[in-house]
Amino acid sequence: MITLTDIGYAYPDAEHFALEKVDLHVEHGEILGVVGASGAGKTTLAKIIAGFIPHVDGGELTGTVVVDGADVAELSLSDAVSKVGLVIQNPFNQISGAKYTVRDEIAFGLENLGVPREEMVERVAAAADLLRISHLMDSSPYALSGGQQQLVAIASMVVLRTPVLVMDEPTSQLDPAGTRMVFDVLSALRDAGSTIVVLEHKVELLREHCDRVAVIAGETIVAVGEPREILADERMPEWGIGATRFTEAARAAAGRGVVAGGGTLPVSLDEAVAFFQEDVPA
Amino acid sequence: MASTLYMDRKSPVHRLNPVTKLVILITVIVIVFAIPFWWVAAGVVAVVIVPAAVVSRCGGRLARLGLTILLPIVVVLFIVQGLTFPGGRTALWEWGPLALTTEGLLFALGIGSRIVCLVLASILFVLTTHPGDLLSALTERGMSPKFSYIISSTLQLIPAFRDRADGILLAQQARGLAIGKGLRGRVGAMMPLLAPLVLGMFTDVEERATAMEARGFGSTARRTALTPVPDSTAQRIVRWSMPLVAAAAIVLPLVTGAL
Repeated sequence: MITLTDIGYAYPDAEHFALEKVDLHVEHGEILGVVGASGAGKTTLAKIIAGFIPHVDGGELTGTVVVDGADVAELSLSDAVSKVGLVIQNPFNQISGAKYTVRDEIAFGLENLGVPREEMVERVAAAADLLRISHLMDSSPYALSGGQQQLVAIASMVVLRTPVLVMDEPTSQLDPAGTRMVFDVLSALRDAGSTIVVLEHKVELLREHCDRVAVIAGETIVAVGEPREILADERMPEWGIGATRFTEAARAAAGRGVVAGGGTLPVSLDEAVAFFQEDVPA
Repeated sequence: MASTLYMDRKSPVHRLNPVTKLVILITVIVIVFAIPFWWVAAGVVAVVIVPAAVVSRCGGRLARLGLTILLPIVVVLFIVQGLTFPGGRTALWEWGPLALTTEGLLFALGIGSRIVCLVLASILFVLTTHPGDLLSALTERGMSPKFSYIISSTLQLIPAFRDRADGILLAQQARGLAIGKGLRGRVGAMMPLLAPLVLGMFTDVEERATAMEARGFGSTARRTALTPVPDSTAQRIVRWSMPLVAAAAIVLPLVTGAL
């Protein structure tokens, strides 16, 4: 569904490439999690997949980006956005400012694309229901909390039903319950056939919901693989990404001689329970 | 929270199509300025504006806002024109070089009544018309969506940026920024606020542009509306009739020699 080949990108007037030698393939109906330290290039990667680089941001892009069979660089921006939905990191800026209710805010993109009213009504209700914000439909988007705005921002992209959805830290303003709910929504969208790239710091949720995880460090993708394999990788701290708290606890316990260690380090609660039970019986 | 004076009421005035109200507002303004008799403006206030305010249940707010805006204007107008009107001959009261004249007061009444009518009609329009509905109605009639966006987002984003400025100021105060007393102190406090606010706004503009494009704002498709603005044949007739009424108000006084 998404294929990036030998991608390199430098922002306008920048001396160095923000990303270099990036090769990545995302299958149709897959959730790919992308992790990386702050400033590693996650947002740049999101904009490249969505076609905003080079269409909007300019700069020098090398290599090719193919989404749904089309070379994104050759598409117009409006064609590119019909293939890839982009949820940006700051929900305040995702809210259009042009609409006075959440209902109209979610419909804003559909109105721009000329979707008939009857279809809009159904799609807006479905997106609000999915994100569990139906009770906010008559509120002003600016009267909402940051977390609620983030859910509205996600709903306003989900409603467009693009085949690919790229989400840049979609849970940055959400509490744990809201975060879990968003990841459940992503799983539901994947099951319905969407292809999703989610750039996120919350590695434990990536393990649970993503089919694969990619790591960005040093301006390139340094690892792609099964979530378990990536999250247990000893190079995670070296890449600027913390390991899961379960991995950290097991590593610390082994380091202090509390447990024998030596086996596979845990990356989830269940694995941690099993890990410690082996060495510290009840 | 949007910076709007709109009052949410279920009234026939609220239910009117915003363009109908806008056309009536413009016609009222044309009438009172084309026929420069104070009793015409007073009549429009008594026959059109006051009943509409009562029906819309916005009378109290209209009165308060109207008084706040109009009282200083009208008082100054009557004092200045009453005392200094060049054609004033019939003195009602004199004190040294100052003379309050009938002609001056009548001139002030003519101007003042028109200003009162203009301001009250405009406030009533704003109180009974949701800005979102107005912009949707105007966009449906061919106004550029980009122009519509500029107006609408300004109404909503100014309060949002004000909140952000408050947040930045609070953060600066938490780090020891002292706000002095008086105007000078407040202006001084603005300085450390400006850089983060303005730079933040530049970043926001870039991000917002990306978000808008991601939602098809640059699309050339014919736009549709989720919430259609109500309209009726009767309102269409009214809208088409109003320009004729306005034209008559301009032409008739000239033709009949009433002016």
